[in-house]
Amino acid sequence: MSTVDTTLDRPARTPRRSAPRSTLTRSSGLALGLAMTWFSLLVLIPLAAVVVTASEGGWGAFWSTVTTPQTAAAIRLTVLTAAAVTVVNVVMGPLIAWVLVRDRFWGKSVLEILIDIPFALPTIVAGLVLLSLYGNDSPLGVNVANRRPAVFLAFLFVTLPFVVRMVQPVLEELDRDVEEAAASLGASRVTTFRRIILPSLAPAIAAGAALSFARGVSEYGSLVLLSGNLPFQTEVTSVRILSSIENDNVAGAAAVATILLVISLVVIVVLDLIQRRVAARG
Amino acid sequence: MSIEVSGLNKTFGDFVALDDVNVSLPKGQLTALLGPSGGGKSTLLRIIAGLEKADSGSVTIEGVDATDLPAQKRNVGFVFQHYAVFKHMTVAKNVAFGLEIRKRPKDEIERRVAELLELVHLSQFAHRLPSQLSGGQRQRMALARALAVEPSVLLLDEPFGALDAKVRKELRDWLRRLHDDVHVTTVFVTHDQEEALEVADEIVVVDQGRVEQVGTPDQLYDEPANDFVMSFLGDVTHLGGLTLRPHDIELDATPRLAGGVEGTIARLVRIGFEVRVTVHTVDGDEVSVVVTRAHARSLGLAEGRTVWLTPAAGAAVVPRMVLAG
Repeated sequence: MSTVDTTLDRPARTPRRSAPRSTLTRSSGLALGLAMTWFSLLVLIPLAAVVVTASEGGWGAFWSTVTTPQTAAAIRLTVLTAAAVTVVNVVMGPLIAWVLVRDRFWGKSVLEILIDIPFALPTIVAGLVLLSLYGNDSPLGVNVANRRPAVFLAFLFVTLPFVVRMVQPVLEELDRDVEEAAASLGASRVTTFRRIILPSLAPAIAAGAALSFARGVSEYGSLVLLSGNLPFQTEVTSVRILSSIENDNVAGAAAVATILLVISLVVIVVLDLIQRRVAARG
Repeated sequence: MSIEVSGLNKTFGDFVALDDVNVSLPKGQLTALLGPSGGGKSTLLRIIAGLEKADSGSVTIEGVDATDLPAQKRNVGFVFQHYAVFKHMTVAKNVAFGLEIRKRPKDEIERRVAELLELVHLSQFAHRLPSQLSGGQRQRMALARALAVEPSVLLLDEPFGALDAKVRKELRDWLRRLHDDVHVTTVFVTHDQEEALEVADEIVVVDQGRVEQVGTPDQLYDEPANDFVMSFLGDVTHLGGLTLRPHDIELDATPRLAGGVEGTIARLVRIGFEVRVTVHTVDGDEVSVVVTRAHARSLGLAEGRTVWLTPAAGAAVVPRMVLAG
């Protein structure tokens, strides 16, 4: 046994968790500088400006703005609907991706393209499509205009591709051997999915869910037509922000925007934690 | 008999992968399915494991008709060429998987995993992830995982095919010793005749979906059933109407033996201790002969010299296959 031992079992160096040493050279330093400038101009400075504007009136003003009944109702509606839609996507997305990757059927390539339509369509066009299908003159006899399901439907429509498109490439790369190995060890299809496939898909599902949630929270164009923007009923935060600005209340708009920012950040962090938990489950 | 396969047929579209295959594999043996790529040997193994369904025919494992049993119920261990590790689980968790599925008590699982990791020499790697292991170590982990459920048969599909030559040779020796310790009926697929001859108790030669010959390494090498088996198991050359091995030809500088075929040395290549001689005979054959360095020197062989060739006494020969066209 000694031959195998000495040549194969030499303990590999244990990966240490230390602060990564900088590998910057002059050119990569330049690239980093450029990337940071770009990132700052486009993201960091505008975000900071929003937070600064929101805090101009102090904590009290900020808090009273976001807790006015109408604003609070809008935030609650937006966040809860985005969360519900994300849950639906987390279930449906992998399912659609599975069908697209694993099954062969007539019309598959058409379906592939259809999935992307919510991406490609200008959101106001999506809004128009939804209005003509589910509005007052619905040919389907489904009228959700000016009611909360309209918001849900609009969110669902625009966020459909996110989880599907994140999961699909990962599923394609997945080794079929691994599933066969699990089967030959006695695992049922359900067990194999839960313990072998799902952990591999978890990061992609989480990323798709984060995108889906963020998109839902920020959605405007696709729902304004169908939802009717009724205060306390179907008014979402993006609409609330717009009306604040139209009423010359920039600080109020920024306050709501800041709340959305914080919520999105929290959701992304939470999803990442869940994802790590699922991916490490053995 | 541990595995009985009878009348197995399998096609993929127009391609015939298995054509009426009948094989019986005795209990406790290490058997190699040997043949060229695309010859159907992997398909045969996968059908035995239940990972592929045959078009017709039956598979019996340990006396139980397994033809319609799903892979989960066959109690076979399967080892894949590319390891098929569960990436997100530690080495110990990988090995424990089959036992956890079977809901064995925790302490039993722990003990069994420790035993198996000991057996495959990976004890100190129990808490590593597979990505931190070398290819050879991953394959040994896969083997431990397959053995954990105490399978009635162990099937290995080109188990060393993805490893480099040195590791492959080490693992080959190790598999042989492991089998001598564990004694589980083992079938492995390989296209490497050296691997099969060195490791297996019995070899099943498969080509174009058919079993060409079944026998011990010695039987196959010394009494090949046909030209294909002969040429697949080692170098061959043709002398007169016969196919035989280059080292089974007597080469003389004078017509010493009756029936010697006269020829001229066209090429001499020395490789280490052996000398490969290419002879053009008066019959128009190009014959390769291998002699030792010492023998070549004592005969004073040189390019252009006339020599006489005779099949050695006791040489394995088969009639030369006449190829159409």
